[in-house]
Amino acid sequence: MTRLSKDTSMLGRGVKRKRSCLEELDAEVLPDAPRKVDKKQDVDGDRDRGDRSDMSRLQQRQVVLSLCLKKLQDYQAGMELSLRRSVLLVNTLRQIQDEMQSDRTGSPDLHLHSINPDSCLLRDDFREDLLVTCPGCAVGNAEGLSPSLFPEFPSQEANGSSEQHKPLSSPSCSAVSDATNATGYLSDLALDDIFEDIDTSMYETSDLPSACAAGSLWPISVSLWPDENMKPFCPTHASGGGLQSCLMDLNELDHIIEILVKS
Amino acid sequence: EPVLRDPAMKSVLKLSEQTADIKFIRYLADIISTVEFNHTGELLATGDKGGRVVIFQREPESKNDPFSQGEYNVYSTFQSHEPEFDYLKSLEIEEKINKIRWLPQQNAAHFLLSTNDKTIKLWKVSERDKRPEGYNLKDEEGRIKDVSTVTSLQVPVLKPMDLMVEVSPRRVFANAHTYHINSISVNSDYETYMSADDLRINLWHLDITDRSFNIVDIKPANMEDLTEVITASEFHPHHCNLFVYSSSKGTLRLCDMREAALCDKHSKLFEEPEDPSARSFFSEIISSVSDVKFSHSGRYLLTRDYLTAKVWDLNMESKPLETYQVHDYLRSKLCSLYENDCIFDKFECAWNGSDSVIMTGAYNNFFRMFDRNTKRDVTLEASRESSKPRAVLKPRRVCAAGGKRRKDDISVDSLDFTKKILHTAWHPTENIIAIAATNNLYIFQDKLNSEMH
Repeated sequence: MTRLSKDTSMLGRGVKRKRSCLEELDAEVLPDAPRKVDKKQDVDGDRDRGDRSDMSRLQQRQVVLSLCLKKLQDYQAGMELSLRRSVLLVNTLRQIQDEMQSDRTGSPDLHLHSINPDSCLLRDDFREDLLVTCPGCAVGNAEGLSPSLFPEFPSQEANGSSEQHKPLSSPSCSAVSDATNATGYLSDLALDDIFEDIDTSMYETSDLPSACAAGSLWPISVSLWPDENMKPFCPTHASGGGLQSCLMDLNELDHIIEILVKS
Repeated sequence: EPVLRDPAMKSVLKLSEQTADIKFIRYLADIISTVEFNHTGELLATGDKGGRVVIFQREPESKNDPFSQGEYNVYSTFQSHEPEFDYLKSLEIEEKINKIRWLPQQNAAHFLLSTNDKTIKLWKVSERDKRPEGYNLKDEEGRIKDVSTVTSLQVPVLKPMDLMVEVSPRRVFANAHTYHINSISVNSDYETYMSADDLRINLWHLDITDRSFNIVDIKPANMEDLTEVITASEFHPHHCNLFVYSSSKGTLRLCDMREAALCDKHSKLFEEPEDPSARSFFSEIISSVSDVKFSHSGRYLLTRDYLTAKVWDLNMESKPLETYQVHDYLRSKLCSLYENDCIFDKFECAWNGSDSVIMTGAYNNFFRMFDRNTKRDVTLEASRESSKPRAVLKPRRVCAAGGKRRKDDISVDSLDFTKKILHTAWHPTENIIAIAATNNLYIFQDKLNSEMH
């Protein structure tokens, strides 16, 4: 029997939440229309309440973001994903991404309490690694070797015509935004490819839940933003088999990390 | 209690409390995935996750037994769809029946359309209660007779036999949908029907299976630009050129097939402006329309999104005519419901025969009915524990956690979110409703069996 979040635990690896923490977050981030309407309250009190609700909103944003990513990456082998669900998840992800970007580029004195300051360093390091195998994975995925968010196969068209969908770009794709966008839609596993090169050992401990939640977000958040400064990248994986080996590599990485953490 | 004595409430309560006659059918098979009455209400079809269709028929009312108000009994069962394997994508195609729609009856046989994610089938349901006897060349067991023993000729005659219901597939409409079919709708011209998947809507002729006509295509040239999908669609009940489809962004589009071959441009766009103060990370998800139904009159549209049911006037695109809160107590729980995926549940909705009451399901095996005229509403439960034959349905109440509780109230935190009533159907003319609660089918009938008020 599924009840509401009494024993919520599935928020990302090893991140345990307090009982009914999600519900507290829900309650705090209710629309604050009543607050706005009542102008008689003192300004300081408002600001305190506003700060608290900002914090909760940021916390909730973190939670929703990590859940979103987890849901996008989970899939049942052999079963096709619901397109509606995928689109709604990706739209939510985009909304959060946009908010995070505007937070960063917006008011300079805005405090993002829950963001790990170290993650800014990591972000620069990972830029070059972002496009690892993305176009290759797009190629591989389009060959139909693994489930994808938005299955796209010309031969499946009802009228049987050789209607060309988005043509498979050559490995030396010059459009950087294509590659970064490809991570969102054509292959949910491309996100794992990005993680593959990242040393996540410092995030995988239960002692640093906030770092875990925050640190793992940044590579993803940057990857989904088309950024003109990024270099075009030629993938190393030319065949569709690259996707399968990416996944296996990631599993091995998990295994190794588990051993390292326990030792 | 004042509520019960209120005559205006009578129309809803009559069905649910004072006179309800409950028949509980234990459905031993799979999870029910669709429920649909035919146009007269004589037949009720259910489809399930295992690809099976069960048809119930209403017994004629018996004069001897005043309580036999024409109950529904199993009429026929057949396997409509089988699981398939898409070798190209290495994916299974589920046999689950997504929708069933009856064709209006034109002769002794009944026809229905059933669909899974990819293939629509037209089934003929006919009765056989006579068989020919007295063949010349075959004996009674069907063995060929020795011709030399035949000394005279006889004319075979039809003799009565035990009623047999035969179901046969008449058409298979396949290979027309890349994405998952979510709706089918028979046109009022009785010749065509449409099928809708996430990105496209196709128009078929009932007699032609090898081609369909694409009338809506919202697939972007670049799939990365995809932000919206089709969630439901339906033909207008009277105007064979009009149809509506809903989207995951909460919009409705009314299209006129006379305007263009490809109805990508809508004739009318129904959208409620978003309340900026209510915006959250879940705003879009909960605005996604899960079902759309024309009223019997054809003048209104009923839509269901995650928390509300809305009635729209076809003449007013700017906002709904009426908004009904189905379970607003969940609004503060959206994060948890997002986590356990319940926020993606798709609830259906239904009109009663006179378009005065609307009905939709909720969690904990609750379902809700709203009287549009009196603005009264009621919450009822479909469960074996609370329902006995000839019993009276008791209205239920959900109270906020920690709020003051009356006896028999249920706290929000005690709701069972695995017990969801996604599929409901209302008899076309009478106060009879069919509720699918996971793998159980409930049929609630008004004992007095009166017509709509």
